[in-house]
Amino acid sequence: MELIFWWLIPPAAVAAGLAGWAALRADRKANARRRPAAHADRLTRLPEYQAALRRHRRWLTVAAIACASLLASSVLAAARPVEISTIRPEQHNRDIVLCLDASGSMSSADAAVVDVFVRLAQDFKGERIGLTIFDSTAIQVFPLTDDYQYAQEQLTLARDAFDGKPGTSGFLDGTWSGRGSSLIGDGLASCLNSFPHGAGLAERQTANHAPRSRSVVLATDNFVSGQPIMTLKEAAGLAKDRAVRVYALNPGDLDYGTGADQPGAQLREAAELSGGAYYALDSAEAVPGIVEGVQETEATARQGAPRAVASDRPDLPLALALLSGLALAVAGWRLRP
Amino acid sequence: MTTLLQRVKSRMAIFAHRKARGMLDGEYGSVFRGRSLDFDDLRAYVPGDEVRDIDWKATARHGSPLIKRYVAVRRQTVLLITDTGRNMAAVAQGGETKKDIAVMALGVLGYLAHRHGDVVGLVSGDLVLTMTLPAKGGEAHLERLLRHVHSHASEDAARSSIEEQLEYVARTIKGRHLLFVVADEIAANPELDRLLHRLRVQHEILWLTIRDADLASAAEWYGVDDSSPLLSHLAQSPAVTAAYTRAAAERDAGRENMLRQAGITEGSVAGTHDVITALFALLERHRRAG
Repeated sequence: MELIFWWLIPPAAVAAGLAGWAALRADRKANARRRPAAHADRLTRLPEYQAALRRHRRWLTVAAIACASLLASSVLAAARPVEISTIRPEQHNRDIVLCLDASGSMSSADAAVVDVFVRLAQDFKGERIGLTIFDSTAIQVFPLTDDYQYAQEQLTLARDAFDGKPGTSGFLDGTWSGRGSSLIGDGLASCLNSFPHGAGLAERQTANHAPRSRSVVLATDNFVSGQPIMTLKEAAGLAKDRAVRVYALNPGDLDYGTGADQPGAQLREAAELSGGAYYALDSAEAVPGIVEGVQETEATARQGAPRAVASDRPDLPLALALLSGLALAVAGWRLRP
Repeated sequence: MTTLLQRVKSRMAIFAHRKARGMLDGEYGSVFRGRSLDFDDLRAYVPGDEVRDIDWKATARHGSPLIKRYVAVRRQTVLLITDTGRNMAAVAQGGETKKDIAVMALGVLGYLAHRHGDVVGLVSGDLVLTMTLPAKGGEAHLERLLRHVHSHASEDAARSSIEEQLEYVARTIKGRHLLFVVADEIAANPELDRLLHRLRVQHEILWLTIRDADLASAAEWYGVDDSSPLLSHLAQSPAVTAAYTRAAAERDAGRENMLRQAGITEGSVAGTHDVITALFALLERHRRAG
């Protein structure tokens, strides 16, 4: 508990002291409007008068205490008591784009990823989420949005479609144009276009508002068939330029050996180039844990610097002042001549 | 500046217009038994004269009542005893300052004594100091006595204690005098009772009580003893007023009882306007009692 205007206390104490001195000082003119009477003990010795005098004194004491307490608590409230606490503000200014390979081999992993985000979206506060699916062409299902209800609706639709529920196949329309299948580089590049263009990371950091972190959850097995416009490596370079971290989930890591040209190794290289990470999945059940891990990594990375926050706490002194005022009013009413 | 004695005289003149001054003189003369047995002459009866002084034979001859006068009337000494402590600077029941009433009462009685040819002395003072002015005749002396009382009784004086003055008289005054005590509403106490009995054996005592202010009235008061204010709004509550009235009656009854048992005639006065009637009643009562 600290006081912002602590310098108010000494002048207030001096003023209160002066007022008390003026009030308690022997006043020579106090008896000016009174008349002298002899044998005052005729009245003052009466037990009834003494009892009335005691009551009077009691209320005077109450009034004096209430007055002092009213003054003290008002001065305390005027000095602005604050509670200073250090907080590490958790920043919820993340942008996440789900970038899902819609080729048939991926549907169970996609469904798992979407399912996780349906749940996560319930707790989002300020994060933006977007969904892009791709096969030979990329379709932006919904752009980055903080309309979580809408996002959940769309994600639920996507999950149903990936699960192959009847009547949902139309969801994936437009992802196949015949130019090939699983054009990962093109898909990732399309996903990167979901982020706002223009300002780079450095520039955004100098700007007044805090930068938003950008991440892509890329679910793919990196089995490319066809001729993509951009290779995966080029797309990863683009991601690095745009300060987007790519977290790659590969449900079918079927690399032979450790050659750098294997699909899994390529994907790992791309993800790590952008500053993200690569996860090979053994089954779709592992997806929730991994995605939540990614979320936490992002969250800790985005925690702000510790800040001292001063919050006003005038309630106690003001409540005391109110009570003192009430007591003073009652005492004044009792003391009226 | 009008002298204090002139004020007394004019007050008595007003009373005389009511054709009663002779009565007052007669009442005074009756109180004093300081007569020799040497007959001097006769004079006309004035109301208030002792009936047994009437010369019935001469009256029968003359047709109107005549009073026997004696030569070589022994000069009596009248001793005025009053309090000049700070109580006398307080307010009386009638709203005047008590010392003004005391000066008026002392002046009237002193003037009567002067006209009767008696000498008048003064014993006055407070708790700390008792002063005495020796008995002498003459208006100038009387004026001096009154001025002494008037100037000494102030709020700067010491506390009042009429016992001190009475003690002084009992200790130092020899012979039989007429004591005229002007005091206020003192409370009866055994010591004072004893002192009064002792004085009554030696002297003739007249006692005039100046009524003190009614403390349960609506005015704001402070006590002259310690200058502490009295809280009148507390005093005016019904319970306190009732208790005050009861206590005041008890106090008065106690004092009256004490004085009566000591054989002292008491009168009381609330303001200067009723000093003469009160004195007349006092003398009358004393004559009857005596």
